[in-house]
Amino acid sequence: MSVLRPLDKLPGLNTATILLVGTDDVLLQQLAGSMLKEDCASELKVHLAKSLPLPSDVNRPRIDLIVFVVNLHSQHSLRNVEESLHHVDSTFFLGKVSFLATGAGQESHCSVHRNTVVKLAHTYRSPLLFCDLEVEGFRTTMAQRLVRMLQICAGHVPGVSALNLLSLLRSTENPSLEDL
Amino acid sequence: MSLSQQDLDPDSTTDMEDVTDAEEELIKKCEEMWKDMEECQNKLSLVGTETLTDSNAQLSLLIMQVKCLTSELSQWRKETPEMIPLKEEVLVALGKEEFQKLRGDLELVLSTIQSRNEKLKEDLEREQKWLDEQQQILESLSVLHNELKHPVVTFSESRIFNQLKTKMRDIKEYKEKILVTLGEFLEDHFPLPDRNVKKKKKNIQESTAQLITLHEILEILLNRLFDVPHDPYVKISGSFWPPYIELLLRNGIALRHPEDPTRIRLEAFHQ
Repeated sequence: MSVLRPLDKLPGLNTATILLVGTDDVLLQQLAGSMLKEDCASELKVHLAKSLPLPSDVNRPRIDLIVFVVNLHSQHSLRNVEESLHHVDSTFFLGKVSFLATGAGQESHCSVHRNTVVKLAHTYRSPLLFCDLEVEGFRTTMAQRLVRMLQICAGHVPGVSALNLLSLLRSTENPSLEDL
Repeated sequence: MSLSQQDLDPDSTTDMEDVTDAEEELIKKCEEMWKDMEECQNKLSLVGTETLTDSNAQLSLLIMQVKCLTSELSQWRKETPEMIPLKEEVLVALGKEEFQKLRGDLELVLSTIQSRNEKLKEDLEREQKWLDEQQQILESLSVLHNELKHPVVTFSESRIFNQLKTKMRDIKEYKEKILVTLGEFLEDHFPLPDRNVKKKKKNIQESTAQLITLHEILEILLNRLFDVPHDPYVKISGSFWPPYIELLLRNGIALRHPEDPTRIRLEAFHQ
């Protein structure tokens, strides 16, 4: 299928799957490695993709969380993400999509303005995370956060749904009422 | 949306080996839940997909969120919590898990507190040492302070006075001795010219004034130097024997006045 749907298959037993979409292969690999090193009660599966739509012939498990990685140093990655967003079903955006902006540490190399990404996340009502994926310490912390989010989105945390998480993450991230 | 609320925890108990009643019950429950899930999945697959564009994203998402949240809310309200059967084995297993977790947490707390304790002990020792040093410094300073405040008077005024008097007496004696020696020396080596020498040439003018000894000349010069320090010059009188004046001038003991050749002064050897 060319459009990703959140609940298209039955879930695997005690598994949670995350899909990382971004143009920087190296960074995604490193982030995936950090995530798999984390201690987690459920089994983690990390899928990497350069862009959507994904090839439909692969037998993949149900995707619980999509993270779009934007590198602030390249316009290309932003455009790639923007295009991939069109191949995602709208029901995914109820808490199962998140944006991650990397490279904010080196101000001089940034060609994408921070506000652009903020607006993008705001348009799609999804949380935006900032992390310098090249720094080991930050990457580990971000991996921990993503693992927690993934667990909630896969339903492994009783009583909290992805939508609840979305509402909880809402408070500090949205810009003021200018856009509304 | 209700799928995400299914509790998947009972799945973890499926890999026990002994088959007991409790487990059979649990397994049955799990299978029932799985069947429910499959039904829901079938229903879901019938729902169509739609993608978003940037323009309609916000509005449609917000509307969808409202709908979902209200349905979730109503679902929570309707649902009564389902309990897993309260069989002994189940409770024991659950209890064990809880206790394991608790033990892990407490061990963490313990190690943290122990390391903090050690750090505090080290800090305490350091501060104690510092305090001791400061106290030592304080003690020594106060001792010093006391010493300086009440100096022990080991001498009396009269003793110093007597010492000074003796010193002065000694110096005066020495001075007398030197003057006497000087006088004798001058008499021996620099006598006045003999008055009884026959005058061989009548046209030599003789000074009519009485000549004074070199000793006396020196005395005059010395007195003048100390009496009137700003004008130590003495007019050469006829009583000075000229050769002796020349002697004094040539040896740098006396100096002429820079503008007046008839006046001389003693060189200030003491300055």
